[in-house]
Amino acid sequence: MIGEFIDGPLWYFSITAFVIGVVWRIVAIVRAGLKPDLSIARGSAGSGAVRAIFSRFVPERTVTTRSRLQLIAGYMFHVGLLVLLFFAQPHVDFIAERITGFDWPAVPHWVFIVTAEFAFAGLILLWLHRVLNPVTRLLSDLDDHIGSILVFLVMLTGCLALAQSHESLRLLHLFLAEVFLIYFPFSKLMHAFTFVMSRGYTGATMGRKGVNA
Amino acid sequence: MRTPAHHKTVPHALGVFGIYLLGLCLLLFSTLVDAQEKQPKELPTVQMMNPAAEFWRDVRQRSAPVSGKTQVGGVETGVLINATGDRWRQFRMSQLIPISGYILGGMVILLVAFYAIRGRVPIEGGMSEHKLPRYTGYERMIHWFMASIFIFLAVTGLILLFGRPLLIPVLGKEGFSILASASKEGHNLMGPLFLLALVMIIIQFVRRNIYQKGDLSWLIRGGGIIGKKHVPSNFFNMGEKTMFWLLVFVGGLIGVSGLILVFPVLGLGREIMALAHVGHAIGAILMITVIIGHIYIGTVGMEGAIEGMKTGYCDLNWAKEHHDLWASKAEENGEALSNQEVAKMRGDRGSVPPVHSGLQESGK
Repeated sequence: MIGEFIDGPLWYFSITAFVIGVVWRIVAIVRAGLKPDLSIARGSAGSGAVRAIFSRFVPERTVTTRSRLQLIAGYMFHVGLLVLLFFAQPHVDFIAERITGFDWPAVPHWVFIVTAEFAFAGLILLWLHRVLNPVTRLLSDLDDHIGSILVFLVMLTGCLALAQSHESLRLLHLFLAEVFLIYFPFSKLMHAFTFVMSRGYTGATMGRKGVNA
Repeated sequence: MRTPAHHKTVPHALGVFGIYLLGLCLLLFSTLVDAQEKQPKELPTVQMMNPAAEFWRDVRQRSAPVSGKTQVGGVETGVLINATGDRWRQFRMSQLIPISGYILGGMVILLVAFYAIRGRVPIEGGMSEHKLPRYTGYERMIHWFMASIFIFLAVTGLILLFGRPLLIPVLGKEGFSILASASKEGHNLMGPLFLLALVMIIIQFVRRNIYQKGDLSWLIRGGGIIGKKHVPSNFFNMGEKTMFWLLVFVGGLIGVSGLILVFPVLGLGREIMALAHVGHAIGAILMITVIIGHIYIGTVGMEGAIEGMKTGYCDLNWAKEHHDLWASKAEENGEALSNQEVAKMRGDRGSVPPVHSGLQESGK
């Protein structure tokens, strides 16, 4: 009964809430518009935006020395999560069956496991840094903690269901993934999409001023 | 007045009664005969050898496993039955599980009794107005990383070890099956992270855990538990250093044996796997027992003990009472800070203006 609900109506509701919520947030940001810049352009805003979007993946020297652990843990978690989400065999099968209708090559099982290890280590270390460092602790609010814990629980239940031996474990994982999808658009987890816009905005502003930032 | 028909009924009734009686006698007789037949007859027994006994004895291989020839590739595929597997099973069921239970239960009882007798060890001089920086943010982070991984592995490992006798009566077989499957997968996945945490801990803390002059006297005097005399100590006392080295060596054993168990594809045989399991379990029980004591001291056992790992700073009086050799040096170096300074640096409530939530997101 509850399993059918999680597998059926709740899944459709959560994916709908996710898509509509994400689109609504992005449209709201775009519609907010920009102040008119009356100065004479000294460079290309477009190329500045593109440059900033990609160049920010490579950290500044000060970041690599002063926040080395955050940097390493950050990459471990984000790259790990991306690979798990889109290239783990069970996820490829699920997405192909429920969303796209076609599949793509998944990573081998051992890559899946190693990636999960990296993602877990990164997430735990980042969250510990958030609560133990005085600055990040002050900057963090409830939303940050809910987001971190929710991601952790989705990942944990996914790993507990790895054997695929019990339907209840799969349903628990799916249920938490659905809660995550519903929560996502209304939280800071939106940075998965908005990072492109914020980097692009900064890059475009600087590019127009002719600043190589 | 009796009718002729009535006269006829008497012999008829007697006849029916007689038939019933006869039937009853026959039933009794047959039961007795049957009972006699079912009694074992005292016949001379003849020892008959199973003609295939020798064959099956060879297959069973009670002594050392003998490898035969097979076209199936793989580890020990030539061994039909390996008797050492049964020895391992017997050891696990009849010795490892009950003895481990006694050890863990005994530790808990010991600590409860100790707390009842000794109570919480207070800071004799009370909390001071000053603190000493004890652990950096990175040190605290890797400590809690190790702690979270260890607790997860300990809980899932104990579920797997004690689940059958303790949890099946509570959860039922289906419920335990789900929990055991989840625990096994979680344990296997998180296990390698323990080794990662261990390496981080070793690199960061090894220098301060090398035994020094004075450590032995700390041990001889039981770390101050025996008697009321003050026992001098360095940054880490003898007990903490011993726990560190236990973590390094026993934790290393647990990690390596765990990897052997998680990766049967490494090509190791059943005996090495059984040995790895025994080493893994004994090492884990030893470490869990020690860590229970560690958690006890950090939480309810000693006032001020956990502050260093929680905040990065420890109370000056606590430091003087438990790590005076280090504390006096740190104080001489001018490292002591007032509580207000520490609160400000940590951004504790009241020391800095509050940050409104959603500041970054709204861009206000």
